[in-house]
Amino acid sequence: MASMAKAQSNGKIKRLSSEELAELLVPAVCKTPAEKRAAIKRATTGLRANVRVTRDMYRPR
Amino acid sequence: MSPPGGRRLVVTRGVFAIEDQELLLPDPIALDTSFVVEALLTTQPLHGVCSALFNRIGESDATVVTSDLLALELAESAFAITLKERWGGRWRGHRTDGRSRRPVTQRLNHTVTRYEALLSSVTHLPIPVRRIITEARVLMSDYGLASYDAAHAAGAIAAGAKAMITLDTGFALLPASLLTVYTDRSRLASCRKKRPRGQR
Repeated sequence: MASMAKAQSNGKIKRLSSEELAELLVPAVCKTPAEKRAAIKRATTGLRANVRVTRDMYRPR
Repeated sequence: MSPPGGRRLVVTRGVFAIEDQELLLPDPIALDTSFVVEALLTTQPLHGVCSALFNRIGESDATVVTSDLLALELAESAFAITLKERWGGRWRGHRTDGRSRRPVTQRLNHTVTRYEALLSSVTHLPIPVRRIITEARVLMSDYGLASYDAAHAAGAIAAGAKAMITLDTGFALLPASLLTVYTDRSRLASCRKKRPRGQR
């Protein structure tokens, strides 16, 4: 695939081009600092679990 | 800045504590699932630290890089939490239990709603796994990263992120020149120990 970044043999990773990144970018919905704070507060309050979440609950080793 | 008198100079090896209020936030910055889980769930031990750091990211206007895998892993965590709450240590055996469907769906929807709210506050760069498969393989073969860690790391590097915020020490298998690791204080030493020697 021509648009895919190519891996190099020395372990360095070629970055996606600015055009590719621009195509993937999703702008923030919230524009003002107050809107951002409110959205983050909504996101980070009220979600609880009665168990401790550990890596093995969402990602295989 | 010189180290305090009599103390050994701390070699950071490109690993820094997220509790540090002076921590620089590069733009773009990558997030791992472990950090997002901690920020979203109020019952996780590092919730306060991680939600506060996300507030700083929002204020900084830095672009947030994630792998597409993150949304899927969040869904998996919601699934696992619900099963574990109901079945305890035997939760894996109840994955296909129909009685779990409704609570699983409910928790999954709550989690997705909150993740979307979080992302609405920042400019987001989601990196599709198909774009970085080759790079992830290189990170696995060159540094021994596990496949999913490699996908997250390859996405971050391909997007130009200088740092990954994570509570997972696996990312420290990469040399500091490829990715700085931001993690909590309790993992600093093990991350620094894991960094490959002879590479900066």
